[in-house]
Amino acid sequence: MTSAQLFYVINLLVYAGVDIIACLGLNQQFGVAGVTNFGFVIFQAAGAYTAAVLSLPSSAANGGFQAYLGGWNLPFPVPWIGAMIVGGLIAVPFTFLVGRRLRGDFAAVGLLVTAVMANLLVTNYRPALNGAAGLSLVPAPLQGEYNPQSAGYQWLYAAVTLVLAAAVYWLVRRVTESPYGRSLRAMRDNDVVADSLGKNLLSLRTAMLVLGGALAGLSGAILVGFITLWAPSAWGYAETIVLFAAVIIGGAGNHRGAVLGAILVPVAFEEATRYIPSIPGKPGLVDDLQWVAIGLLIVLFLWFRPQGVLPERRRRTAVGRPRSVMPNEDVVTLAGTGPEPGRSVAVRSVPAPALPDGGPLLRTVDLTRDFGGVHAVAGVSIEVRRGTLTGLIGPNGAGKSTLLAMLAGTIPATSGQVIYAGTDVTSMPAYRRARLGLVRTFQLASEFKRLTVMENLLSAVPRHRGDTLAGALRGRRYWRGDEEAAIDRAQALLDRFGLSGYADTYAGDLSGGQRRLTEIMRALMAEPAMLLLDEPMAGVHPRLARQIGAQLLGLCAEGITILMVEHELAIMDEFCDPVIVMAEGSVLATGTMAALRARSEVVEAYLVG
Amino acid sequence: MSLFLASLGFGLVTAAVLAIAAVGFTMQFAVTDVLNLAYGAVMIGSAFVAYWLNQAGVNVWLGLLVAAAAGAVASVLLNRGIYAPFQRRGSAPITLVIVSLGMTLIIEFGLQAIVGGTSVSYTMSQGPTVKAGGLVLTTVQLVIIGLSVVVMAAVHGLLRYTKLGKAMRATAANRSLARNCGIRTDRVVTVTWALTGALCGVAGTVLAINDGSFGATSADLFLVVILAAVFLGGPGQAYGAMAGALIIGLATEISAAYINPSYKYVVAFGVLLIVMAVRPGGVLGATA
Repeated sequence: MTSAQLFYVINLLVYAGVDIIACLGLNQQFGVAGVTNFGFVIFQAAGAYTAAVLSLPSSAANGGFQAYLGGWNLPFPVPWIGAMIVGGLIAVPFTFLVGRRLRGDFAAVGLLVTAVMANLLVTNYRPALNGAAGLSLVPAPLQGEYNPQSAGYQWLYAAVTLVLAAAVYWLVRRVTESPYGRSLRAMRDNDVVADSLGKNLLSLRTAMLVLGGALAGLSGAILVGFITLWAPSAWGYAETIVLFAAVIIGGAGNHRGAVLGAILVPVAFEEATRYIPSIPGKPGLVDDLQWVAIGLLIVLFLWFRPQGVLPERRRRTAVGRPRSVMPNEDVVTLAGTGPEPGRSVAVRSVPAPALPDGGPLLRTVDLTRDFGGVHAVAGVSIEVRRGTLTGLIGPNGAGKSTLLAMLAGTIPATSGQVIYAGTDVTSMPAYRRARLGLVRTFQLASEFKRLTVMENLLSAVPRHRGDTLAGALRGRRYWRGDEEAAIDRAQALLDRFGLSGYADTYAGDLSGGQRRLTEIMRALMAEPAMLLLDEPMAGVHPRLARQIGAQLLGLCAEGITILMVEHELAIMDEFCDPVIVMAEGSVLATGTMAALRARSEVVEAYLVG
Repeated sequence: MSLFLASLGFGLVTAAVLAIAAVGFTMQFAVTDVLNLAYGAVMIGSAFVAYWLNQAGVNVWLGLLVAAAAGAVASVLLNRGIYAPFQRRGSAPITLVIVSLGMTLIIEFGLQAIVGGTSVSYTMSQGPTVKAGGLVLTTVQLVIIGLSVVVMAAVHGLLRYTKLGKAMRATAANRSLARNCGIRTDRVVTVTWALTGALCGVAGTVLAINDGSFGATSADLFLVVILAAVFLGGPGQAYGAMAGALIIGLATEISAAYINPSYKYVVAFGVLLIVMAVRPGGVLGATA
């Protein structure tokens, strides 16, 4: 090979390493945690600029032809470390966009707009980073000691880049394949449900923005150390779209896919098209068509192969014994072999906090929720006694689900109070209520679709040592004990509910009844002291419904308190005592079903309702 | 003071352009549930339709009407061919946003491959300058303001007094409920794409007229301003978008008179981020 060819190969290797690091960072955010960061390139740019101004000599000493802040002339590897720190830190101000309140797609738009504007600002404001011209003559790492033009140095640079890419791969794998990574994927699949199971969405998303930002910063530092210049034209908002294309094509959620995508899209595709000769009289035509092709690739892949070339793998648990049961078998046949009410318990619950007066575990005072002038719930005061299976019935639109959502913290109350175990939890976010043992289920199917049934169950386990970023980084050995205990509990629950053959089935592939069961089991894994169930038997075969009811009574006997919304009066008759009747946002009556049936206004509300 | 009045005039014109664009965008989002980031690309594509006619000797105001039709057709096709199939499949909203970004690349750079990277201008007269109450505006600027007022009044009339407007509001509020009430929501959605697409085409052309020159990627920055106006008024709120457009239009142009004009869009950006952080549902207007 000639030296020009050698240089080209080295060039490709460095670019590949840089793009792999960036794509892994983006995949960690987007593919694993579901944080759609359309401003990803800002973090790469921040890293590149940081590395540049940390390694450059002061502006005057550099001839004064370019203006920039800093210029501290710091030795390698300080600029690279600084780039990671700055890349991570500038993520912090963005966390307000990705909290619980803003829709994911709105947050993505906010980040996209930020990327456009950041580029505009840097382009037009010269004193900070030399404006549109950008920074040049950025010192290569250790250029005082070695000659950056030598083949040895260049090979070493490529090798270091690839080693760092491998290290980043190891790091993101360690995070993703941990219980913490499972929580991230749960949040990706359904953030409201993850919140209700005790996951702090803001903290998870902040951690992902910071981690991805640090990785993006590192990729920028490596790049700028190699090409020795950096300008706004290198980080237009569209560069982020190229990285998204890479992750989507490679396989979002699968870090191997991200590596493949990085090699396929920014490296192979952009290099291959570089050799298309430009057409005379049409300058820039090839570049334009390249962008068109990126756009086409995104749309076509999302349509024809949304899972990418290398789809996310299914995580099998060692215990999940595959059986010859068809995953789509109807739930009714399942029920035949299903829940065994007599079995010993695999449920652990938070010991319900002792109250001096032995009062109700949960009560509300004048709880109200308005939706644009409509009182969905109007001044409801109820009490749920410890250890009961309390029913909540009422016609459609009575406000049952809204009340339940306010109890769990899924939606805030307009006024009034929720008092759980003697504590006023009215303004407490859902995830903290869940951690106190107040756990809800949802009326609509709310399984984490791309997690297996076993993973769905494990995702709810509280206080798991591996369910923090620090715990995940400490490795499997640190959290294996908790994981094995959790798997045992989950396995026992699966046996008890007759779903052990489905442990490794994706929850999204289950039948309706199986999903309801999975959701109840998952709530139980959260170690609840009190369960709030929103129509747990809706759409379930009556026989299975009655078995679920028997299971719930069993749970109450074990000390769990349950408040259950249900339409089916027969279920109420058989299992619930007391029963609360709601109509038009208010409590109509409370008592045993027998007593309620004797009251005409209750019957009327139901029949007329 | 004259500096302030001059910038106020510019602000009113920008607000007029922005209002047409923002109302179209926000109604599109409300009814179709697609956060269509390719809106800016369709704007510029429509502006180029008017440009080609203009080059062939057609008056630009006539071209504006054809651009409106082009925007309508392009938007309906975009929905039929791309967005609707994804929605039918149950794709997440964020997937559609990514698809719309992909479509932005396809439309903008496909256009640039045809027209080249240089900017073009309409051949037209700015008309005599009009002075009123200290404001100095060209006839063209006055026409743009007048056009915008007419469009806003038409949107108001549509939403308040027509069956179609009611059906659009019902579909926006709850599509499945609207369908169950006998509203043919599929048709309402298609008509909405056509109407908002027409607004998009008009907005693209008046933007091109007002800016003087434009290229294939000129709408990228303006899209940010549209988003700022839309989010300020609350996403999906037509009247909110009108108010948002007025505030953002005036704020960007008046600030441009006092700070570096390169930063005028940064004001819009700041407003957008603050609104997203503080009031994700928008600050203005509560009715659709």
